[in-house]
Amino acid sequence: MLFFIISAIGRFLNQDNSRDKDLLRRIARKDPVALSLLYDQYNRLLFGLLISILKKKTEAEDILQEVFSNIWEKADQFDPDRGTGYTWIVSLTRNKGIDRLRSKVYKEQKKQSTSLDNDDVYHPLYSSENNPLEDTILSDRADMVRNALQQISEKQRKVIEISYFSGLSQSEISEEYDIPLGTVKTRMRDGMMKLRDILSGAEQ
Amino acid sequence: MSTQDNTLFEELCVGFVLNSITSEEEKEFKSLLNNATQEQEQLYQDMQSIASEMALLAYDQKPSESVKEQLLEMAWASVHARGGSANVHYLSRYRIAAAAAVLFLVSSLGLFFFNQNLETDLETQKELVVQKENTIRILETEVEQKSELLAILEARDVDLVLMDGLEVNPNGFGKVVWDKENGQALLQVANMPAVPTAKEYQLWFVINNQPFSAGVFAVNDPEKDNFFKIQELNQSASQGAFAITLEPEGGSPQPTGDMYMLGAM
Repeated sequence: MLFFIISAIGRFLNQDNSRDKDLLRRIARKDPVALSLLYDQYNRLLFGLLISILKKKTEAEDILQEVFSNIWEKADQFDPDRGTGYTWIVSLTRNKGIDRLRSKVYKEQKKQSTSLDNDDVYHPLYSSENNPLEDTILSDRADMVRNALQQISEKQRKVIEISYFSGLSQSEISEEYDIPLGTVKTRMRDGMMKLRDILSGAEQ
Repeated sequence: MSTQDNTLFEELCVGFVLNSITSEEEKEFKSLLNNATQEQEQLYQDMQSIASEMALLAYDQKPSESVKEQLLEMAWASVHARGGSANVHYLSRYRIAAAAAVLFLVSSLGLFFFNQNLETDLETQKELVVQKENTIRILETEVEQKSELLAILEARDVDLVLMDGLEVNPNGFGKVVWDKENGQALLQVANMPAVPTAKEYQLWFVINNQPFSAGVFAVNDPEKDNFFKIQELNQSASQGAFAITLEPEGGSPQPTGDMYMLGAM
């Protein structure tokens, strides 16, 4: 059913999921040690994701702290029946990052950003060559996603990547890249549906 | 659900998980999700999974150490504000304490019942020991008596006097083995009824119609032969008779009760 199940690393994913669930359960009971462990597990990944969205290290750190504070406060709202802990955490992080990206204050600050040479400004969307993370299992999973993205059309891939890593809405993509909104929606939908087929093994 | 509706669901679903649709579209999607088919719900979960997996492509970037420090500072402060220690530790201690208490209770109950059983066993064993000691004492006494009786039988010169039951107890019989040299005698009686309360049998040596008491004895078990040692029977007479009468406990100076046996030398 899910691509996770048929993948060779499915077993490890289940282990990770079980570990995440356990940590979230402990955090819900206000265990700071569990929060520390969860932070150690995901801080680099989430920080990289936030940087790709916000492009600023300080902003990303600010949101990262906010994300984990949210996890601390709302871990009891995590519902294991509706997805994995990892999915919940990443979704929470992206939502926070994009909320900050779209906030009025942030947009004002962004306009005032001056130089592309500023160390606090990041430009690439995501890592396309090297293993992005040290963990082998996570690297394997990243390779699978990267390979799947290479199998969909460039136009589809572009809207998905921009949306995901830059946090632009469909209408913003339409305006910025001069693509009709309906086309953006269609490419995004078709691309993601094809990714689903590829990752589930339907097109292998 | 029509293909068009399904396409709309897919389009909104993808936009929702990528956070790229408007707030109105989000509301529309949530409404659709509330009435979604099982396949659509599965699609939503798959899309969420794909979106979260894409995060793995992000650059590996390490945030400042201060982020974690501040985060944990906040978490511990929150814990202390709630009551001084982390719940998990509190719960762990509570569970350990509860487990220890239960263990202690169970152990105590176990030891209590074990102790009770031991005490019962000990009492039983003590009673058994007392019974055995009594048996040993009885056996030792019997052995002692038998030895004494045997010593009489081993004497070089003994007189044997047979006694027969009289009217009150015609089935009774007995004999006296008399060691005149040492002034001792062995009395054996059989088929004698058990002595009534406050009564005893008394053996008499009768010579020239003059009875001399040779001692008292009691028969408690009429079914078996009863042997008695007569300590002092210092008579040098070569004629006379032995008689047994039933007398008050302790004996009488003269025969007063029924005569049970009689035998002449």
